[in-house]
Amino acid sequence: MSLEIRSVVSETIYQIEVTTGDRVKSGDDLVILESMKMEIPIVAEADSTIVAVRCNEGDSVIEEQVLLIVEPD
Amino acid sequence: MSLKKDVQDPAAARQDLAEVLAAKANTLDENRPKAIAKRAKTGHQTIRQNIERLIDKGSFQEYGQLAEPAFKSLEGPADGLVMGTGTVSGCRVGFMGYDYTVHAGTQSIINHAKADRFLHLVESLRLPLVLWAAGGGWRPYENHINSRDYEETFAMMARLSGLVPTVGVVSGRCFAGNANLAGLCDTLIATPKAALGMGGPPLVEAALGLTLTPEELGPAEMHEACGAIDVLVADEQEAINCVRLYLDYFRGAGSQLGSDPDISLLRSLVPENPRRAYDVRKVIEGVADQGSILELRPKFARSVVTALVKVNGTPMGVLANQPMFLAGAIDSPASDKLARFIQLCDAHDIPMLYLCDTPGLMVGPEVEATALVRHSSRILNAAINATTPFMTVILRKAYGLGQYMMGALPLRPALLVGWPTAEFGAMGFEGAVKITHKNELELITEKKVRQVRERELADELRAHNTALGLAGSYELDAVIDPADTRELVIRFLVSLPPLAPRTGRKRTIDNW
Repeated sequence: MSLEIRSVVSETIYQIEVTTGDRVKSGDDLVILESMKMEIPIVAEADSTIVAVRCNEGDSVIEEQVLLIVEPD
Repeated sequence: MSLKKDVQDPAAARQDLAEVLAAKANTLDENRPKAIAKRAKTGHQTIRQNIERLIDKGSFQEYGQLAEPAFKSLEGPADGLVMGTGTVSGCRVGFMGYDYTVHAGTQSIINHAKADRFLHLVESLRLPLVLWAAGGGWRPYENHINSRDYEETFAMMARLSGLVPTVGVVSGRCFAGNANLAGLCDTLIATPKAALGMGGPPLVEAALGLTLTPEELGPAEMHEACGAIDVLVADEQEAINCVRLYLDYFRGAGSQLGSDPDISLLRSLVPENPRRAYDVRKVIEGVADQGSILELRPKFARSVVTALVKVNGTPMGVLANQPMFLAGAIDSPASDKLARFIQLCDAHDIPMLYLCDTPGLMVGPEVEATALVRHSSRILNAAINATTPFMTVILRKAYGLGQYMMGALPLRPALLVGWPTAEFGAMGFEGAVKITHKNELELITEKKVRQVRERELADELRAHNTALGLAGSYELDAVIDPADTRELVIRFLVSLPPLAPRTGRKRTIDNW
């Protein structure tokens, strides 16, 4: 079952570390947000495959906005 | 002498006792199938089922089981309030729960008299109190009955503040007087079915012309975000588990030592890149006993984390900045969250652990408009007037008044240590050099070159304010290997004197 990865704060997408089809391990950085001059990593909670990327670097996102779709193993 | 054959068994219930037993039986779930079915329909346990699951078997001594509504034509087992003394995992408690199957858990003349009597008892015996809060406030059917209108219930509930731990559960509709009792609890646990508010839908409709369901008016998720409830759990069974866990923090050190957490991640938790955030909950997980963490108000004021934990079996309160939100800056809600938590711990002699990583107080016109001047002052007021020992670990940033409030030296921590990543300053280094080197920087016209110089100057300043530097001027008791943090906390706990037996209240706890 695929999972939505959502933004934790309303801020800017600083860096996207993955592309569609990538395999990631639990704890890997997926997306880095930027807020209050801090880089806030959103990390994979389980070994997964990236199904879709729903954001671009530089985007302003709101809290709970879907950033990625992943498929945990 | 011959025995008559038809003599009654002397152990059997005579008519007088049989009447009492029958009256008692009428209050029990098995003899109220209709009411119980209605409760089950909304996915709720009955109050007696919840008691059975929470209170140790055979320990519940009910008070007022045979009380009836003052308005005699109303039916109402125990007049809608089930209360008594008992034990939870061996720990003595007072339990008071409104019965939603009796006139929607409303408060009445007789059940107020019951509550008043019971709360006086809870006060005099100093029993930790579990309140199952439900109901629609005052019972309007009893409006025409003259009574003294002398309910002490709310006042008595407030008198318990700081004297005994009070924990409330809201798993359904809870408004007006019932909500007030919930709001007077130190800690409030709720389920997604909770609908909580001071003024219920009929009042809202009358006053504002808005037609709302209770769930639209006071949903659990809203209360979780605004900080009115402390813990949101999945259902009533989890609420019971949570009450049991909660009460355990107030029993002092148990005989059982907790199981060691995984400390292997602690060394790498604070990223090398000083701009990179990390989840401070991972630090708490690397210090506390496995499975012992109860975070309070997790979705409210998220730039700080407050959690009850156990370390080697000893209860502690943890106060931590959370770099994942607002970079760990302290705003007004965060100030309130910290201040109340300090009071909760201090009132019940629970030692505290501060984990500091804050750029300071939040800045800007928006936060100043929230009365940050006043809210932030609450932290210092609570902290310096607390007498319960605490220790502080500087994880990374310790800037400005924010770090002062996070257990700095003037607050007299029993132990003040830094991780190797600790950095100190009255303000952020980048901001500081822009002021101290204003003239030099203004002469550099090219933006990129200026930024490089700014960073150079900031790094220079940072190098003077590291953990090692501060240890040299003895502003830290020690600089530690992050992997040793739990060990240090245990040593701190061992250094504490035994607690004198308590006979009364030490302090009250702010309800916000």
